[in-house]
Amino acid sequence: MRWDELKQNLGDFVHGYFVSAYERKLREQFVDLNDLFMLQCFMELVGLPNPAAIYLLDVYPFFLEEFHTWHRRMGMDRSPIGSMPCC
Amino acid sequence: MRELLRKRILFFGGKRGVGKTTCASAMALAASRAGRRVLLVSTDPAHSTSDIFDIPFDRDEREVAPGLMGIEIDAALEARRYIDRAKSEIARMFSQAVAREAERQIELAASMPGVEEVALFDRMGDLIINRFDAYDLLIFDTAPTGHTLRLLRMPELVSSWIGALSRRRRALLSLNQDIDKVRQVPEAIDPEEDPILRTLEQRREKLEQVRARLMQHNFTGFVLVVIPERLPIDETVRAVEILQDSNVNVCGVFVNRVLPADLEGEFYRSRRNQEQVYVDEIKRRFSAYPLAWIPQLETDVYGLASLERVSTLLMR
Repeated sequence: MRWDELKQNLGDFVHGYFVSAYERKLREQFVDLNDLFMLQCFMELVGLPNPAAIYLLDVYPFFLEEFHTWHRRMGMDRSPIGSMPCC
Repeated sequence: MRELLRKRILFFGGKRGVGKTTCASAMALAASRAGRRVLLVSTDPAHSTSDIFDIPFDRDEREVAPGLMGIEIDAALEARRYIDRAKSEIARMFSQAVAREAERQIELAASMPGVEEVALFDRMGDLIINRFDAYDLLIFDTAPTGHTLRLLRMPELVSSWIGALSRRRRALLSLNQDIDKVRQVPEAIDPEEDPILRTLEQRREKLEQVRARLMQHNFTGFVLVVIPERLPIDETVRAVEILQDSNVNVCGVFVNRVLPADLEGEFYRSRRNQEQVYVDEIKRRFSAYPLAWIPQLETDVYGLASLERVSTLLMR
């Protein structure tokens, strides 16, 4: 392996290490925020009153779609959550 | 009460049994006689308006007296329609199996307390926005006080709730954009294209639009109906306070079933003496508002002829 190549690879490695650590943090934050958002949208599922419950039926189909893509991406053929019954 | 004819939206409220429906109907008739295009909206599940006009009020606008249009909003039916719409939307987008399963979530949302109220408000909002230009005056005969006050405050509550949701959604999407940037994904999704955010914001906009119209003091007003008796007076005093707190314009108090002055006999005299105490109290407590006095009639208000009498009395 040539010196240049080694330097390049090492640089990529260090870059990748820090960037992926950063990306992981962002993803963690995203997951937390998303959970909170879903909870606020469907509070009636956990037995809490939701003043806008009926209006949120408007966005429910989009959630189903988003959720379906998500669980497929995660390698699950079937929906793991009963109230998100896409398949 | 002629100044009420200049308003565009009137709500009639008061304690159960004081004659809200009678007053709202008489006002509608009076306004229509004065040449206004009037829509009388009944939200009462007891269908009293249909009884008074002796003609069934419908989900669609129809002529209930010569030149006067009427409509009835059935909250339970509106909630049902809303839910059916959500169901058919899901059925359109997903397979039958999904739709069947999703029904559980929908039925759950449908059984939440307050759903009918929201559906009722939604329909009222529709009329306030979409039928505003077709009429000179929209008169809403509402359910008893407590219920109505909640209804008027609802847009604020729901709209701030939806506002919080859409802010959260926006934060989520911008975080997603950051992740895409870090990963150097070429086509990052524009948050404004997100259907969830768009739906939430459209809904909020509509609520805010209705709210803005309700708070317009120059053309929206709330009329309280009261009778000269202890409990209705107390409740009305509280209602006025709450309405003012919520920035709703109280534009008149109708005092219904006042004993006529020209009655003879010991019994009536003593009744009138007792009533006088309450009449004075009403004058004192509601001195800031225009008052209309409607005498107790010798017969029930039922049918167009007797309604006509009340409406003439109103416009004296």
